[in-house]
Amino acid sequence: MSSPGITATMAPLVRVAGDGEAVIEVDHLTKRFGSVTAADDLTFTLKRGTITGFLGPNGAGKTTTLRMLLGLTRPTRGTASLFGRQYVDIPNPATRVGAVLEATDFHPGRSGHDHLLMLARAAGLPMQRVDEVLAKVSLTGAARRRVGGYSMGMRQRLGLAAALLGDPELLILDEPANGLDPEGVHWLREFLHEFASEGRTVLVSSHVLAEVAQTVHDIVIINRGRLVTVSPLADLLARSVSGTHVIAPEAGRLHEILCQHAIESRLVDSDELIASGVTTADVGEIAGSSGVFLHELSTQSSSLEDIFLELTAKEV
Amino acid sequence: MREQMRSELVKLRSTRTNLGLLLGMVGLVLLIVIITGAAVTPAELAKDEHQRALFGLGLAGGFIASLIGVMSITSEFRHGTIRPTFVFTPRRGRVVSAKVLSSFILGFAFGVITEAVAFGVGLSILAIRAVDVVVPTHELLLVALGSIACAALMAALGVGVGAIARNQVLAVIGVVVWFMVVENIVIGIWPQVGKFFPLAAGDAMTGINSDQLLPASQGALVLVGYVLISFFAALAVTQRIDVK
Repeated sequence: MSSPGITATMAPLVRVAGDGEAVIEVDHLTKRFGSVTAADDLTFTLKRGTITGFLGPNGAGKTTTLRMLLGLTRPTRGTASLFGRQYVDIPNPATRVGAVLEATDFHPGRSGHDHLLMLARAAGLPMQRVDEVLAKVSLTGAARRRVGGYSMGMRQRLGLAAALLGDPELLILDEPANGLDPEGVHWLREFLHEFASEGRTVLVSSHVLAEVAQTVHDIVIINRGRLVTVSPLADLLARSVSGTHVIAPEAGRLHEILCQHAIESRLVDSDELIASGVTTADVGEIAGSSGVFLHELSTQSSSLEDIFLELTAKEV
Repeated sequence: MREQMRSELVKLRSTRTNLGLLLGMVGLVLLIVIITGAAVTPAELAKDEHQRALFGLGLAGGFIASLIGVMSITSEFRHGTIRPTFVFTPRRGRVVSAKVLSSFILGFAFGVITEAVAFGVGLSILAIRAVDVVVPTHELLLVALGSIACAALMAALGVGVGAIARNQVLAVIGVVVWFMVVENIVIGIWPQVGKFFPLAAGDAMTGINSDQLLPASQGALVLVGYVLISFFAALAVTQRIDVK
């Protein structure tokens, strides 16, 4: 479990060296609600020390899957195990797994402090843990106020505080960035990096890839209950291409000229090419000095978001 | 289980719900004691069964006590705290058991407080109206104990009802309609059946000698039976459900 102090300032793609031990194992997990199949034969594994983004459009089955992991919902078929056993069989699970499922899971008339206290009591944790996690999420000042008066961001942080009570080694977060302001999102990102740098594991769901792209190492994408892809984020990024799109009657001649300039170019059609690693200005100037007429000159990109949309596009 | 009990006690004291229920219980019982004490003629007040009714919690006290248990579990489903509760304690049977036990304790405490008020006001009314206490002193103690036990058992029963219903609004309406309307109607027109209903059985624990009620000991047994049945039904239902 060697974890060189990775911080949020480091490149997001740096992978924390995990020791390879599987923390979460999902095996042919299936859940049907009547005629709706919320999770359909899902199989994937999470290694210790990684942050995994659990992605999919709204209604893809992310929440149902996370609830099965935590023993709240019973699978129709298959198993979900954490640390090699089902959640219900983990002794005092709050000391190993922390979860934030909904930012609304509070009694509005109960103070933040008492919400944490009732959970600390259930796990047999000392009362000082309540104050510690309150300080960690910067809610100490609001601790004695009723949750009904909390902002969305404060509720998210209180939920996170509850998840951290037992000092767990695995965090499961369902859409934690919902309702957070940009500052809160930044704070959450730093927090998760720090958490994972200590050799701990995070599974964080989101319906926005961009939201987690700066945070996660691995990606699990599901759509309509089915597994779409499991891969390191880096592999997904490698698939994103960008280039300068050109339409010109003499595309073939421009292609040769660009090659002479050592610019990577790909002829798409007799009048169409895509050049890589150059700006539209570069291509325009080269074409102008060579007397090649351009009918169209634009930047084309296939971003991470495009790939995500493509992967989760509705099947016909 | 000890951890779960401590957790439940924090839950019970950390919202205003139970303070409201206590005030409601004391207020309602007080109202009934005062109305009964003021409206009934001295000759009637001198009768044993009227004095027991005056000092007991009656149907209103038992009914409100049941809401302690109903709110204990339905508020968790209503506000979603059932998710963190089950994530921290995935052995759901422990959660239900702790709720039954903690509600029983709170119902007992509310019963003691309300009984103290009922006795204080009831005795004052008898003194003011110059009516002697005809219930033997040791029997007065049984009236108090029966009332308090009824409140504790009704609170425990409420957890079972709430766990099966889950929906807070439905559970509260159901409890109001059943205890305040259905039981009264059935007791009125068909007492041989009505006296076996839960709240009627609990009311009988004050030892009122009436054709419409069971003897105190049988009433206690019947109510305990209801509590046990609802407890096991609540366990079965709670283990099975998907928490969405």
